[in-house]
Amino acid sequence: MTTTLEHTTTDAAPLGGGLARRQNMATALVGGVLFAWLFWFLAHHFLDASSRNYSDLVSVSLTIGWIIGFWLGIGALNAPARWMMGRDNTHADDMYLAGQNQGKARYWKYCTDHKVVGVQYIIMTMVLLGAGGILAMAIRTELIVPGNHFVDQQVYNGFIAVHGLLMILALIVAVAGPWGNFVVPIMCGARDMAFPRLNALSLWTLVGAAGLLLTTLAVGSLSMGWVVLEPIANQAGVGMDFFAMAVVVFTVSTTVAGVNTICTVLTMRTKGMTLARLPIFVWGAIIAAALGLYAFPYFALVEAQTIMDRTFNTSFFVASGGGTGWLQANLFWLMGHPEVYVILLPAVAALFEIASVMARKPVFSYRTAIAGMTGLAGLSILVWAHHMFTTGWAPTLGGPFMLTTELISIPTGLFFLVLIGTLWRGNIWMKLPTIWMFGFIANFIIAGVTGIYLSDIPIDNQLHGTMFVTAHFHYVFVGSVLFGAVAALAFWYPKVTGRFLNEFQGRIAFWLAFIGVQVTFLSMFLSGLRGMPRRYSSYALIFEHTNFITTVGAYMIMAGMLVLLGAVITSWNKGEPAGPNPWHANSLEWMVPTPPPLENFTVLPVITEDPYNYGEELVRS
Amino acid sequence: MSIDTHSAHDAHGASEGGHHEAPEVVDGRQRMGIWLFIGGDIITMSALLFTYLYLRGVNTGGHWRSMVGYIGHSYSYYQNATNLPAPSLVHVSTLSAGLNWSVSAIVVVSAAIIWAAERGLRASKNAKSYSTLAAVATIVTVLAIIFSIVQLRHIPQIYVAVNDSQTMSYTAYDSAMMVIIGSGILHLFILAFLGLGLTIRSARGVINGDKWYQARLVRMFWVWVAISAVIGSLVTTTIH
Repeated sequence: MTTTLEHTTTDAAPLGGGLARRQNMATALVGGVLFAWLFWFLAHHFLDASSRNYSDLVSVSLTIGWIIGFWLGIGALNAPARWMMGRDNTHADDMYLAGQNQGKARYWKYCTDHKVVGVQYIIMTMVLLGAGGILAMAIRTELIVPGNHFVDQQVYNGFIAVHGLLMILALIVAVAGPWGNFVVPIMCGARDMAFPRLNALSLWTLVGAAGLLLTTLAVGSLSMGWVVLEPIANQAGVGMDFFAMAVVVFTVSTTVAGVNTICTVLTMRTKGMTLARLPIFVWGAIIAAALGLYAFPYFALVEAQTIMDRTFNTSFFVASGGGTGWLQANLFWLMGHPEVYVILLPAVAALFEIASVMARKPVFSYRTAIAGMTGLAGLSILVWAHHMFTTGWAPTLGGPFMLTTELISIPTGLFFLVLIGTLWRGNIWMKLPTIWMFGFIANFIIAGVTGIYLSDIPIDNQLHGTMFVTAHFHYVFVGSVLFGAVAALAFWYPKVTGRFLNEFQGRIAFWLAFIGVQVTFLSMFLSGLRGMPRRYSSYALIFEHTNFITTVGAYMIMAGMLVLLGAVITSWNKGEPAGPNPWHANSLEWMVPTPPPLENFTVLPVITEDPYNYGEELVRS
Repeated sequence: MSIDTHSAHDAHGASEGGHHEAPEVVDGRQRMGIWLFIGGDIITMSALLFTYLYLRGVNTGGHWRSMVGYIGHSYSYYQNATNLPAPSLVHVSTLSAGLNWSVSAIVVVSAAIIWAAERGLRASKNAKSYSTLAAVATIVTVLAIIFSIVQLRHIPQIYVAVNDSQTMSYTAYDSAMMVIIGSGILHLFILAFLGLGLTIRSARGVINGDKWYQARLVRMFWVWVAISAVIGSLVTTTIH
């Protein structure tokens, strides 16, 4: 892939003037808090205080106020208002929104430059992972010995739920957020995302949702896992309202982001960038975005129905009114399983990219890789009931759902085929991204194989609700997705900062995390096989040793993540300079200067080759 | 080999994919964006109808349209009443099919107006006429919102008093109808916002005979909302 590129500075936008130009994260927080208070005040004074649902109504009003105020404060509603009044942004307005000549301040604003949004996603992901990780440590500390009282049992329950959703949100955006924004438009040869303002909206809406989710812990939390099954959800305290509203708001974010990603790739590719020449990561990003568009409306609806049951006394999930908890389970898992692949696919696609560059070989069987990702996405919408094998829902459908679930192993196997085929006999460059990629491969094998066990109904009947399941999906999310996300971070970090992520610190982090994952989750498998149930704050003595080992392993993972965090921070300004194309890659993001300029290209490139043509000699070697 | 086939970023940024582009430049991608949003909305609509049909099919305890409790008075009446008789099984009627279809018909009419207005704009280049018709479509949409709210208010509440749980409640049928109507109202508010925007923009000349792209985008969404209203009415008035 060859290009002609040069960078010139575009006209400076006039700065200053107008409240809209002074909006940033601080005004968003102030706006959010003010409107939350205003809505609380109105609800508090005008709603019937004797109503059973009074506190829920007040809570939901407050959350609505928060998000409206947050949007107003950050400036998300400026453009719609201006559109309605027929006063479209001027060029200067748009360049200002894109952060021109604003230095680091633009990272705290409603900035429309996709690279700024990408960096904001990196920060957001780290914050979410950090918060979820702290909760994980608290959970593991509680479980280090039986009968420990490190935290109150009710608080422990809340930690379980919020840890779960925080980590899910973090991992949904861990790869697709930073790199789907930072590199995908450049990879396509576009100046920005298709809808830059919606891009900023998706990011800041996520920030608003995270605020609601973290508030859950401060308002009484909730006593269940993040699945929030009925009827427990209907009986929970007001923390449930914050939790459910966070999900609804988050769905707005993912829907907007998904539409934006797909539109960018399908309509803004530069000349010569045919679909067959798209870097494989771009395919992963749009397949995951499409799957998210399908899946997340179910999530929003089921949480909206939960809110309605709690506030308006509807009976979606209340048996005495004709409702059923199975409706909740079905709607949730219609989202729940595709969501796993919304998380996984961008990480896998990033690893295809990394494997090709680091082995100096084209992606092995490029079309098979696309077929595998598409097949996985397609199958993932047909397997939801395997989460309900033990509930008694539609037992006659158990066989078909077991079959579709086990079919998942075919496209998953293709991933391994493509990865190993790409690496096979390549000149493998054992740098930081490569090392984390190998960690992914090792962990994903364990994640995949244990998944096949669990898809089998007789085994699932034995292991459902045990720590075996917890260990399985942590091998997927921590052992696989997190390792893939770190590999992607190490790979594209030089493009963001112009510097390498510190290799030494990165390797220490890798070994701590890799060994930590094995120690934590292999021992957790053992706890599960012995019958230890999930989500309990205490356990029988028989599980004492395996839980102690699990907790030690979890501390190792945390130590690894802290070392990695240190590497990310210290390398940002003091890392080894990397230059614009440190990996000698061929895709477009490596052809632009580092950091890439606003609007990426002065002259749009014309693509004449696929991005993996490293030359015949290198391929053969 | 590389070729420079594109002009450099012009003074107004109306080039390929920048931060400030003319509507005609972004029209293609905005159309795809609208189609994708409609796709997401179709999933939501399907999930709503799934909810309705699933609850109808399961009919837990025969309570699809019935519930043990009291009906006929306000919450405060029952709350303050002493010596309430034993609660009985209260059956609720289906919501007015006529009102349901009336809302759908109004939305279809508003979609037809907005479509005709757009065709007129493209053919005759008369922005004033478009502005007037967009205003009419907006007012019609507000009428649909009012009808929908009336419909919501007709959903019967049942007073349930079971142990410490004493409140007004809704049957599964009413709950499913409430969320479908609520979703419809949300859509109608969006249409009202868009209609008002089209009215003002065309009155100010931002949308005119040569710049009608946004009118088409809004019309696409408007037509989908009309279709979804008809589908909703069809399902809820034939299966209940």
